[in-house]
Amino acid sequence: MKERLAAAVKQSRADYTEIRVERTWSSAVAFRGRRLETATVSEDQGGFVRVLNTGCGWGIASFTSLDELPAMVTRANELSRAVRVDDPIRLADTRPQTGDALLELDGDVRGVPLAEKKKLLDRYNAAMLAVSDKIVDTQSSYRDEVSEVWFVNSEGTSLYQLRPEVVVSGTAIARRNGNIEKGLESIGLRKGWNSVQNFENQFRVVAQRAVDLLAAPRVRGGAYPVILDNELAGVFIHEAFGHLSEADFVYENPQAREMMTLGRRFGKPVLNVGDNGAATGLRGTLPYDDEGTPTQDTPLIKEGVLVGRLHSRETAAKLGERPTGNARAISFRHPPIVRMTNTYIAPGKKGVGFNDLITDIKLGVYACGAFGGQTMLENFSFTAGWGYMIRDGKVAELVKDVVLAGNLFQTLDRIDHIAGDFTWNQMGGGCGKAGQFPLPVTEGAPHVRIEEALIGGDV
Amino acid sequence: MIDRVLDAARGKVDGADALWRREEQTAVSFESGRLKTAGISEEAGINLRVLAGGRMGVAGTTAAKPEPAELVGRARASAELGEVVELAFPGASKLPPIPTFFDRTANASLDDLIRMGRLLVERLARPDCQINVAVQREVADTAVGNTAGARGEYRATGIAVSADITRIAGDDVLMVYDQYVGGDMPSDADLEALVRSVETRLTAALKIVAPPDGALPVVFTPAGLAAVVLPLEQALSGKTVLQGSSPLAGKIGETLFDERLSIVDDPLTPGRPSSRPVDDECVPSRCTGLVERGVVERFVYDLETAGRAKTQSTGNGRRGVFGKPHIGYTNILFRGNDGAHGGHTAGLGGGLLGDIDDGLLVDDLIGVGQGNVISGAFSHPVGLAYRVQRGEITGRVKDAAVAGNAYDLLKRIGGFGNDGRWLGARYSPSLLLEGVSVARR
Repeated sequence: MKERLAAAVKQSRADYTEIRVERTWSSAVAFRGRRLETATVSEDQGGFVRVLNTGCGWGIASFTSLDELPAMVTRANELSRAVRVDDPIRLADTRPQTGDALLELDGDVRGVPLAEKKKLLDRYNAAMLAVSDKIVDTQSSYRDEVSEVWFVNSEGTSLYQLRPEVVVSGTAIARRNGNIEKGLESIGLRKGWNSVQNFENQFRVVAQRAVDLLAAPRVRGGAYPVILDNELAGVFIHEAFGHLSEADFVYENPQAREMMTLGRRFGKPVLNVGDNGAATGLRGTLPYDDEGTPTQDTPLIKEGVLVGRLHSRETAAKLGERPTGNARAISFRHPPIVRMTNTYIAPGKKGVGFNDLITDIKLGVYACGAFGGQTMLENFSFTAGWGYMIRDGKVAELVKDVVLAGNLFQTLDRIDHIAGDFTWNQMGGGCGKAGQFPLPVTEGAPHVRIEEALIGGDV
Repeated sequence: MIDRVLDAARGKVDGADALWRREEQTAVSFESGRLKTAGISEEAGINLRVLAGGRMGVAGTTAAKPEPAELVGRARASAELGEVVELAFPGASKLPPIPTFFDRTANASLDDLIRMGRLLVERLARPDCQINVAVQREVADTAVGNTAGARGEYRATGIAVSADITRIAGDDVLMVYDQYVGGDMPSDADLEALVRSVETRLTAALKIVAPPDGALPVVFTPAGLAAVVLPLEQALSGKTVLQGSSPLAGKIGETLFDERLSIVDDPLTPGRPSSRPVDDECVPSRCTGLVERGVVERFVYDLETAGRAKTQSTGNGRRGVFGKPHIGYTNILFRGNDGAHGGHTAGLGGGLLGDIDDGLLVDDLIGVGQGNVISGAFSHPVGLAYRVQRGEITGRVKDAAVAGNAYDLLKRIGGFGNDGRWLGARYSPSLLLEGVSVARR
């Protein structure tokens, strides 16, 4: 395949040409309640060509029929030449990369019968349903894939990557009279079959929590000291800050660039944030990004100060910075754009635990898990899965409808304590941007304390 | 292709249906006011569903030359694990005439698309704003068929033109977005309306004012209405009804909403890109009244859920190349029957602001779709909202949140705007809702 792509690149008349071909084998099983929804095996394949000419814009073509490859290279070149730009597009220099990068399959999912996958998911689904007769519905899904990606460009890069992925998730829905609550568990790894065994207990726990939430009061809205658990802290840093650190947000926008000036203080000295596409075995992990740039650990906030951002080759060239290996595409149907990989809040002092964070809180909220989050640049809203009140330095009653809303800059600046208990959230789902969803990413964080944040609920 | 796959399935399974779709897209995008990218995409795939031993299985592929026997084998393997379903494939029938293909859209050249985008960029350019414009044209061929003899084929065009403006002043970020989506090319008037819509909302947002507080009258624009109508869209799905999670289950025939409110799913609306003569399961298209004058009339079904609910499919089967068919709305219309129509050209608020002494006009909320949507309860910070005082917009509010319950709020609608319009596949006017909880942060 590499030779075939190299030949097509060679035949291109464009100044820069890249070709990405993907072949993805995947299987999926889903239950709704006790009922199996689907159990299928799918094969998806196709190619993507992107070319650039001096003084011209990008020309791109995506296609499912690989027989069309030479024709698509020609089409992409015509499209590029049809786009005249006054401000030339440049790509930051990178060293050409060659080789095969095969991520560990940890039990090749292609060798496991579909019936076994159904059995595994059935066990997890049944574990949720068995918790209580108040669990009236579940949604459970298993999905795996092994993706082969070939990437060749006209600068001598020639790569083959093997990327596995497996995600198991379940939602338990509890109901009493008109009251409905849910609990959500999700495990996602860039690994294989062996890594998703023996999670019954986790599924049981979330179903039990959904039942417990039926009787829990709504949190009383207001401003509180808030502790985010590891999962919510990770989602928060991804959604609220991570997207602003993507250089395509600032690279052609002087006002945004000013807002995100390197050296600006974003938080107290306890705050350290980064993005690490080279971490081992996580969903956001890739040896190379979709422009063939090796991934790396990129510091974004160091001791409260903005020190870096995430780049593609184009945004790096424009800002005179170095590519960070963050140009990613969810599939051959899309161009690579600047995306996060594994984004994290670094742990605070070793030995500092959750209890140290709450001991001096008289009245506060411990917000846990994440049902979702959305940001509109400086404003964000996050729905926690559940929460507890903190009273006199201790965790007190379970509360529900914990929605955290606020202004990014204020909230980051109010993070005053960070525990040492860092974990990566090994979740499914993914990140959405510019119509590309769901992109596998991971977030990681320790427990984080915000001295004051707004919690929605009964007001 | 469909016939080859169905032929391969005959004799090996009890029944089968299949969908083949080929899509060609051409897109141009302007970033920060500059033309940056031109692209095409071509994609074809086939989705096969089989019934074997009473069980359902599916398989899909995007392979350029799929091997029918392999696809059937995969679908049968899927069926071995599948549930027993009562699924009756519809027989051959006459399809309603509905134009889905527009020459002007299909024949628009790359230069035509670029010219349209450039016009928007030029009209919307402002020194303190960044503007992005995207133009995307699609031509899609769809063929559906089943072993009961039904066949359907159509060619459809679609065009989407979108413009978004971002204005950053210090740490204040303002984003305004609008779009034109249609089957046929936008007229000059359509593009002009898009420009005016973005400009109007941007201009009114330049001044920031303090938000009000309390249970207030709030006008939701067609874009802002998503949080209020999303619970209904979920609850009117036959799937959630079967699942026991729809608050509307068992309420057919009851008046649950304002008696002027009607909700319709209409795949036969002329000129909409979601219109089609036949659904993705060979069921001929027809208009389905979901709520009529406040009364819950009907839920939407695909073949599988209709079989389970012992009713008929409403022609709302939707499927992609991968996975099994599911329920999807085609064009969903929210209408008041007091006859007011305005279209795109009406001012912000659709004429509903006049009687408001103090309240909000909501155009965008943050986090819609998160949380427990189907219950009807929502609580969101505002993305783009304006304060209304003594019948006029006085400025943009930030740091405010609105909350309420869609079922309660829609029982009494304060007014239907004269600004009914399409937003993607949803049509609605602005709605004035009373007693929405507005909280200042």
